Amino acid sequence: MSSITRRKFLAGSVLAAGGMSWLLKSRTMQAFAAEVDKRYDFKAGTWIPTCCHMCGGTTGILCQVVDGKVIRIKPNSANPCGFSNISDDFFKNCATEGATMCPKGNSGMMTLYDPDRLAKPVRRTNPKKGIGVDPGWKEITWDEAYSEIAARMKKLRDAGTPEALLWFSEDHCFTHIQGDFCQLFGTPNYSNHSNLCDTARKASFKAVIGDERPLMDAIQSRYILLFGWNPLGATKWAHLPRIMTRARERGAKLVVVDPYYSSTARKADEWVPIRPGTDGALALAMAHVIIRDGLQDKDFVEKWTYGFDKFSEYVKDKTPAWAEKITTVPAETIERIARDFATTQPAVVDVWSGPGQHENCVHGGAAIACLATLTGGYDRPGTLHLPNKKGNAHGHLHADKPKAPRFADDNKLYPMFHGSGVYCEIFKQLAEGKGKYPAKMAMIVFQNPMMSLPGTETVAKALASLEFVVVNDIFLSETSQFADIVVPGTTYLERYDWNTHWVTWPVLALRQPVVKPIFGQPAEYEFVAELGRRLDLRDKDNKEFFKIGPLSGQPIENLTAWYEDYFSAESKNGAPKLTLEEIKALPGAVWVDKGGTKYGKFKSELKAEDVAKATIVKAKVGDLEIEQIFDKPKDQGGKRIGTMIDGKAVKGFMTPTGKVEFVLNCLTGKKDAEGKSCSDLPVYTPRDWQPDAQYPLFLINWKEATHTHTRTQNNRWLLEFKPDNPLQINRKTAERLGISDGDQVVVESKFGSAKAKAHVTEEIHPEVVGLQHGFGHWAMGAAAKGRGTSDGILRPLRADPIGGQALHKECCVRVKKA
Amino acid sequence: MDMTRRGFLKGAGVAVAAATATALPGCLQEASAGNGNRRWGMVIDLKRCIACKACGAACRLENKTPPGVAYGVFLDEEKGQFPHAYRLSFFRPCMQCEESSCAKVCPTGATSHRKDGIVGVDYEKCIGCRYCIAACPYGARSFDYGHNYIEAANNPYNAIPSSEYGAEYGLRSKGRSPIGNVRKCTFCLHLQDEKGEYREPTACSRTCMGKAIHFGDLKDPEAKCLVHGEKMQELLARRGHYRLKEELGNEPSVYYLPA
Repeated sequence: MSSITRRKFLAGSVLAAGGMSWLLKSRTMQAFAAEVDKRYDFKAGTWIPTCCHMCGGTTGILCQVVDGKVIRIKPNSANPCGFSNISDDFFKNCATEGATMCPKGNSGMMTLYDPDRLAKPVRRTNPKKGIGVDPGWKEITWDEAYSEIAARMKKLRDAGTPEALLWFSEDHCFTHIQGDFCQLFGTPNYSNHSNLCDTARKASFKAVIGDERPLMDAIQSRYILLFGWNPLGATKWAHLPRIMTRARERGAKLVVVDPYYSSTARKADEWVPIRPGTDGALALAMAHVIIRDGLQDKDFVEKWTYGFDKFSEYVKDKTPAWAEKITTVPAETIERIARDFATTQPAVVDVWSGPGQHENCVHGGAAIACLATLTGGYDRPGTLHLPNKKGNAHGHLHADKPKAPRFADDNKLYPMFHGSGVYCEIFKQLAEGKGKYPAKMAMIVFQNPMMSLPGTETVAKALASLEFVVVNDIFLSETSQFADIVVPGTTYLERYDWNTHWVTWPVLALRQPVVKPIFGQPAEYEFVAELGRRLDLRDKDNKEFFKIGPLSGQPIENLTAWYEDYFSAESKNGAPKLTLEEIKALPGAVWVDKGGTKYGKFKSELKAEDVAKATIVKAKVGDLEIEQIFDKPKDQGGKRIGTMIDGKAVKGFMTPTGKVEFVLNCLTGKKDAEGKSCSDLPVYTPRDWQPDAQYPLFLINWKEATHTHTRTQNNRWLLEFKPDNPLQINRKTAERLGISDGDQVVVESKFGSAKAKAHVTEEIHPEVVGLQHGFGHWAMGAAAKGRGTSDGILRPLRADPIGGQALHKECCVRVKKA
Repeated sequence: MDMTRRGFLKGAGVAVAAATATALPGCLQEASAGNGNRRWGMVIDLKRCIACKACGAACRLENKTPPGVAYGVFLDEEKGQFPHAYRLSFFRPCMQCEESSCAKVCPTGATSHRKDGIVGVDYEKCIGCRYCIAACPYGARSFDYGHNYIEAANNPYNAIPSSEYGAEYGLRSKGRSPIGNVRKCTFCLHLQDEKGEYREPTACSRTCMGKAIHFGDLKDPEAKCLVHGEKMQELLARRGHYRLKEELGNEPSVYYLPA
């Protein structure tokens, strides 16, 4: 059709189209344009509130949907996640200022419509599995996929070995239904992502304050001290940049301790470059200065802490001069930041994955937490806040816990085991043919262990050792290359999830499908439910679990409708006491508790009626007898609600003593996974793997705002901002090695070697090289393939022996020109 | 047919092209358009900017620009010596200069100032000569070579039109504008209403994580930032400001507050 004809036709037929035709006057294209404009204008279609999941951060977003397509995404100002983590700030200022979104969130459409997405289930035809081996994919129908997967599972069950099924999942999406499936099926081997991320931080804080997820109240702080945390680069929650920059604008000082001049260090008043894995030593020397000069919050230390004398004794010789030798941070800098931190109040100190992915991470993190303890820096405005985590409720599953132990015994081996499991231990035992019993099958949902675990070759061996592997992913990932069947997953724009926990007061935000799964594929929860139906999984009441709606009590045939009922029960029985439909109807599809952020909760006395009903357990802790208060007897699943302190029943801290602990009672007398005794003081011990003459450089990695984990490297917009991850090397080190900017280099460790492009810079410690994590894909999508470097191959498959955190940063290398 | 028009223009030369183009009356990107009581501008607070590049991503999302065509660009330069490293980072939209180098060199009058200060490109007049790209001291212009992020024609993304210039050129196709044209940031002028006021602030300012990009009218002393509500003139008075390459006398409409 010639366009002249088309134009004439349009001009004649759509004059009344309105829109922006007022501006176009007699343009030949005017009528056509007006028509397009009307359909795609900012006001067109429907704006659907939901939550992002380009990373794990769950920021509130609004999606404009026209003709069944997402055409725009913008911030959702009804959701605090994306504006502030403090309620006052949110209630007062969000309406005027509006929420924000990160580059990944703005690029969501390029992932939704990524042309490399897997559209249909595939089955391998090549039985040989290995890196670089073509699986010989053949498309199969969904029914074929379900039948074969269910048959494989049934075989395990019929043989009385359901525990031979290992299950791995992402940690914030559709987790509850997968956990329920595993329990009903009879396997204790459900694990998820957290132990690849921040379980070291969780263990450190759990040991010190009995809460694994305190959140930094930056905006009300006057001094922000961060150890290896990069909130302006690892912009997991979109409010982080606002609260950080606003704090600085209000006069707060920002000090960042990091071997790399991270995105956060770039905005800091002071960057303190440090030798990797020595942060604990720096913290101890700061504690030494604070105690030596009597700058601690004496009242808080007296009333609310345990073990101060022993700790003081321990840090007596941990002088700044001692720490300088270990950390390379000048003693005078340590003196100064210690005094500034203790005397500028409120001050907040926090630590994340920088120090948290070395072998000595749990104790290092605990030493850093002790700085907060010395300054009474908990649950006050401008300090580390202990959030109220009320949100959705996972329904009670009426089924026995699986009888078999976990395959890798990781829950027994690791003294501060986290519920997410220890991937490193599981894959290591698989590769070595160990384990409590043979594992036969793995279900891997929205996870890519081949890229996201250290020890790539061991992971490959582990995956290849399994009889049958199923992967659910949106791409044919590196892990998929080891799968027998791969089924297409959904993006966050195509499914439901509840989101909570990222601000300091109860908020529950809805993620909902803004478009139907674009290939007509089931969402992950529907995939799980369908398998549950085919296996006829029932609970103890003989109820068909994946068919009867827990809220309605009625059988529901349609999988989506059944899940909506299951999902709705979680909000109805949770803090909002609202159904899915009721939350959908709230502004921004988010329930926000009007009560807001509460401070000093640990001081609050328990209600007399709660104490009357409570069970008091006398626990011997060190030389003390502590009266711990539980809501019901421990053997009936009692939950700790407080502690008797000075004759009063108070909430306190959920540690053995009910106080903040300098002496970590949860580690007293414990052995770690490698058989070493655990110190119950937040000691500094050098991490195991130190540079030597052969491998003289530390290798680290980090996040930048442009990508997350190993899953955004096929996003064509994000690749324009960060197309690869060159190896950053200090200029002086590079000169010594004869390496120039842009050179191809070989990075070698005693475990393997990798190629990289060098970037010569002033922005990294001279003893350290490093790169942004997530690149180096050799499968995934066409855009990601062959870009940048994956450093997993340079490390062994190892977890921190206390908490089970994957050691992504413990590595020493040599670098030479390729 | 478009191909015919292009073929004709190539054969007949610039003068004819200009004449043909002027025969088409004014539109969104021409001098007669825009609200004369406004002069739209930006105040970018570099103390708040965290160099995340969300601005650039939001720009692609709003304008659906193809690869190689970048309206809002983020510039990042490493400076200093270890351990006193520092960065010079800033977001660079089009400066919408009052004395713009681009308009001065445009042989066909395709680039012109609207009454509200925004510099537009009339794709019907633009012959793709790219003088303006060479002339712009800020590198704010790029040429649409016809590349696409996603090649598959049936991909849903390719059915989403850009709203740029009122979506007149929303869906790109071979041999048709804006392919073969020079393109640039227009402060998302398609977000303006009939009166030339913004219904929504520009995509970059709306999304900015550090709340660093303020957008509003620079003419009215009382005008407020459309994103965060501060008075634009107060922001400028806050702690001194500068414009890029001020010495060239281009009089840009984008101001920076120092880091």
